Amino acid sequence: MTDSWTRSLAGHLIDCGVEPAEAQNMAADAAAEAEIAGTAPESLYGPALAYAATLARAARPVDGDPLDRATGRVLLRLDGVSKRYRRRWVLRDVSLTLRGGEVAAVVGANGSGKSTLLSICAGATRATRGVVQRTRRVGFAPQQHGVSAWLTANEHFELFGAVEGMNRSRATTVGTGLARQLGWNPRPRQIADQLSGGTQQKLNVVLSELHRPDLILLDEPYQGFDQESYVDFWDQVYAWRDAGAAVLVVTHLLHDLQRIDHVLELSPVDDA
Amino acid sequence: MTNLRQQWLHGFLEMCLLSLLVDGPDYGLGLSERLAASGLGDVPGGTLYPSLLRLEKQGLVSVSWQHSTTGPRRKYYELTEQGRRAVRELADSWAHFRSSVDTLTMGVRND
Amino acid sequence: MRLLIRTVALTSLKELSRRRVALLFVFLLPLAFFVLRIEVHWQALRFLAIGVGWAIATLALFSHVASRRIDSRLAVMGASPSALFLGRQLALVTLGLITAGAYFVVAAVSLDVPRLAAVALLLATTVLIAAPLGALVSMLIPRELEGALALLAIMAMQLLADPASTAARLLPFWSTRELSSYAIEPVGVEVLHSGLLHAAVTLAVAFALAWVVSVLRIRTVKLVEPT
Repeated sequence: MTDSWTRSLAGHLIDCGVEPAEAQNMAADAAAEAEIAGTAPESLYGPALAYAATLARAARPVDGDPLDRATGRVLLRLDGVSKRYRRRWVLRDVSLTLRGGEVAAVVGANGSGKSTLLSICAGATRATRGVVQRTRRVGFAPQQHGVSAWLTANEHFELFGAVEGMNRSRATTVGTGLARQLGWNPRPRQIADQLSGGTQQKLNVVLSELHRPDLILLDEPYQGFDQESYVDFWDQVYAWRDAGAAVLVVTHLLHDLQRIDHVLELSPVDDA
Repeated sequence: MTNLRQQWLHGFLEMCLLSLLVDGPDYGLGLSERLAASGLGDVPGGTLYPSLLRLEKQGLVSVSWQHSTTGPRRKYYELTEQGRRAVRELADSWAHFRSSVDTLTMGVRND
Repeated sequence: MRLLIRTVALTSLKELSRRRVALLFVFLLPLAFFVLRIEVHWQALRFLAIGVGWAIATLALFSHVASRRIDSRLAVMGASPSALFLGRQLALVTLGLITAGAYFVVAAVSLDVPRLAAVALLLATTVLIAAPLGALVSMLIPRELEGALALLAIMAMQLLADPASTAARLLPFWSTRELSSYAIEPVGVEVLHSGLLHAAVTLAVAFALAWVVSVLRIRTVKLVEPT
């Protein structure tokens, strides 16, 4: 015999990415505690929607202590990379060696060439000078326009999965599982245009890791994230790192410098 | 001022809960009452239970359903071995942190 | 590669099917042209066919413009730029042929046409040319509005130019006019041949150019593994 608050809690937990069976258990537990305390669930926990968000985040699986991470082979090497557009130098002499199991952050003010650098690392742009070497298996999440407004999340998973030879069911299963880790349960009929900005970015991030790449490149992926999603994102970055991937994040906010292996600071280059 | 205390408590809640469990298992309501009795005030259920869940997911506490003396089954939390190690480390860190802050605020307090 | 082409094709069709307003224009404009000119058979057919060509080319433009960034991203992951281009063209040609089929039926029931097979032929060649033409325009003018205006200009010139002039032969749908003459008027088979030849050449050139430019646009820099 469940009341509406409890049913509502279970529903919201599922929306936040919790497996349905676990969501039912959590809701039942919460109801039981409230009954023991002799209060209504709403007065003990607050509104179901807000409580579901907090509870879902607390329930996310926690990684083991990342003690001895072996840093692996070099997955990205930049050596003296420079880029000129027309007569303006956007990047000057950038170098970086990034191994598996490392996280690099690229910081700098607007206009300092961060997005260009990421594009060069991806291979979408050619550097004017310098050497760029990277592993073949790369995931890329550009800041905007990385998704198609007219397709649903599952259709995106199918499309990106097809690049690596994944069939539709496998791609959607993997994609949905990865989305859940970011606290999002994709709705089957919702096209990307109808998603909120923060959720679109979550889709963006999932698409960059769908095929389990060795190197993941992300460009300020958390615009529109709320505080908790932002923290979830960095948890995800460290999870990738612990799994042996190399991660490069372009950002103008730094979460926790101590856990980042390389910080590359770019400053706007003066006109030649 | 209460807002600030709430923020601080948020940061230390897990450590406080672990410490309370050192003496033996307890259930949610019991922990809540003991926190209030220690002078930390009322911790809302919406904050308390997610913290307990997080401790469980980290493997620092284990849960079991037991019948209480008054009848209904209650969810009991108990420290694991890993939890005991963790609370010792946390308590040590806290002691260092606290003495630093005490030193800094010594001239300002109304002792 | 085949999986990717098929997936891109299906995905493009889904994308297009959701752009309701664009689809409405695509399907209604040729019909409107046709109905307005229905009294004059040879004009009705011509306007219908060129309207269909414009509509499919515009859909192709929209489809290719909208997919530029995502295609670039897929290419970074290792997708073949050719596969991406071919998949999208496959979707557009499929949609085009379905549209052509529908309008063939409309023309067949409402016009009294001596050579009905030629009507099917001219509608088919029009959409086959339109798909890569729209893609090519999208690569030269990578914006939906401006590209659509360019296609509109081409269509307008197509309708106004004197088919006998040399300039008219440079327009992409000249073959459509030739073949519509063959369908309705009692002209000789050389009209059919010249029309088919022009269509074949235009199709080959448009497709080859669009393919090459799209590959050059989306391809990624060849990067080697770090030593």
